[in-house]
Amino acid sequence: MIQFENVSLEYKAGKFALIDLNFAVPAGAFAFLTGHSGAGKSSLLKLIARLEKPTAGNIVINGIDYNRLKPRQEPRLRQQMGLVFQDNQLLHDRSVFDNIALPLIIGGYRHREIKNRVAAALERVGLSGTAQENPLSLSGGEQQRIGIARAVVAKPKLLLADEPTGNLDAQISADIMQLLMQFSASGVTVLVATHDIGLLETFDFPRLQLHQGRLVDVHPGRSAASQQNENRHVRHREYV
Amino acid sequence: MPIESGKSATPSKRSPIRRSTAKAAATSSETIPHSNHTEPKSKPAKASRSKPWQYTKRGYALARSFQQLRSQKLASIGTLLVFGVTLALPALILFTASSLSDLGSRSVGEESITAYLTLQTSDLDGASLAQQVQLIDGVKEARYVSKDEALALFYAQTDIDEGIDVLGENPLPGSIILFPDTSKLNEADLKALAMTVAKSEGVDRVQFDLRWVQRLQAVLNLTRSVGWILASFLTLTALLVIGNTIRLELLRRQTELDVSRLLGANKAFLNRPVIYTGALYGFLGGCIACAIALFALHWLREPAVSLSTLYSSTFELVMPTASQLLLVVLAATILGVFAAIITLYQPSNHFLQNRRTGI
Repeated sequence: MIQFENVSLEYKAGKFALIDLNFAVPAGAFAFLTGHSGAGKSSLLKLIARLEKPTAGNIVINGIDYNRLKPRQEPRLRQQMGLVFQDNQLLHDRSVFDNIALPLIIGGYRHREIKNRVAAALERVGLSGTAQENPLSLSGGEQQRIGIARAVVAKPKLLLADEPTGNLDAQISADIMQLLMQFSASGVTVLVATHDIGLLETFDFPRLQLHQGRLVDVHPGRSAASQQNENRHVRHREYV
Repeated sequence: MPIESGKSATPSKRSPIRRSTAKAAATSSETIPHSNHTEPKSKPAKASRSKPWQYTKRGYALARSFQQLRSQKLASIGTLLVFGVTLALPALILFTASSLSDLGSRSVGEESITAYLTLQTSDLDGASLAQQVQLIDGVKEARYVSKDEALALFYAQTDIDEGIDVLGENPLPGSIILFPDTSKLNEADLKALAMTVAKSEGVDRVQFDLRWVQRLQAVLNLTRSVGWILASFLTLTALLVIGNTIRLELLRRQTELDVSRLLGANKAFLNRPVIYTGALYGFLGGCIACAIALFALHWLREPAVSLSTLYSSTFELVMPTASQLLLVVLAATILGVFAAIITLYQPSNHFLQNRRTGI
């Protein structure tokens, strides 16, 4: 669960990135974070990932009170989250397998477990045969799916995605969204920051809308599970 | 409503979403079907070609360090050579220090006082005087060298024997060579002993050659000091070379460090490959330094022996022992680690403090 209580983030004196945010996203929910560029979407994600600290207010993620969190506990917290980036942030000096294995190495998993989990993650994103390939040899959509595989390989409780479809065409974006919905349906809380109007119109998920650092609208939407039950092909065609 | 806003926006604990979370967490990830729009590749999933040990935290760090050396072959070789050459002189000084110390102490240890007798002193009186001198406290040995022995030595060691023949008679006096016990006598005692012998009847003059030994020792001390100062500067240079290489390496690996941090890597995980790289550079640089120093020693050995022969000395440059070689390699490795730590923790370092993220 993501809970924000009176959270503000001030970068410079008088210059707020986020102002007095109050909201809660329940565990297992799929939610969009929307707003124009500079609205504060990335700042909010940074606060959740503890890459920034709020100047006021309190954040509680999955029962962890950030105000009581010690700096040395931050890496462990991040290990419990999956992060998906717009530019996928894959490392090109190693294979797809080694890219996906990285969070597991950081987490101290055994080799056998790493092998099994990476294989399962690759299977989930539909790229089982690419383990030994270099990410550069894959298409943009495939690279993003590898990025998602890396984000979920350690089975996080929370998945944060910052413009995951930003560099992709409509069809591949729909694929990526379907993939994220699958994770949400399996109990992972997914928060997707996007300003892709097409995406927002196609998928009726709960939506937090930011404007100049303020939460201006909360659209309730429907859960990922209920939307998955609908005909995905129809939804996909609508979007594309 | 799955999402709430407002000051009391805590969702209900009985939310069905929460229940589905717990259920899903218990199920295996493999049960989730694929998206209809993803197209699985035809090839089956293969395990990584990397070795199992590379998937432990330390193994990963070591593998990254080796990969860095491999991926930047020319740059790495260049750095290693600079490091090795820079450390070679300090290593050479360390290896020769024991030989030079040995030379200095041996010179003092074999110091002798030569008492030249008057020409009128007979061999009998000379031998008798040598026996008396032998009894003086602090004298280890006193040996009488007769006039004839002195002449024979002169013939053996010089090429001007024809000049002696012209004189018709032996002009060389008899002498007593004293070997003082230098473990008991200090410099002042040696001087006093020389004075005592000089006052004995039949002694013409006493030659006391401690001064050249002192000069030699002073030269050796100066050489040693200059050597160590030079070695310190070169060691500092080596430190900077490794530090700079690691700095560049950190810049090159900035993305990897950022991504690792976002994936939950702690400071130890991020720093470990850097420290291992420093250690690796140090170790390999130390080996190169040892190889260069050994080559130099081997090359200097012959001229050193030739020079010492000219001075009737048995001095030779001794090749370093295994422990000395190990010491150099160990010191170089520590130096590499130290350089890495300085690079990681210097105040101006933004590599690990800077939180540039993909978000």
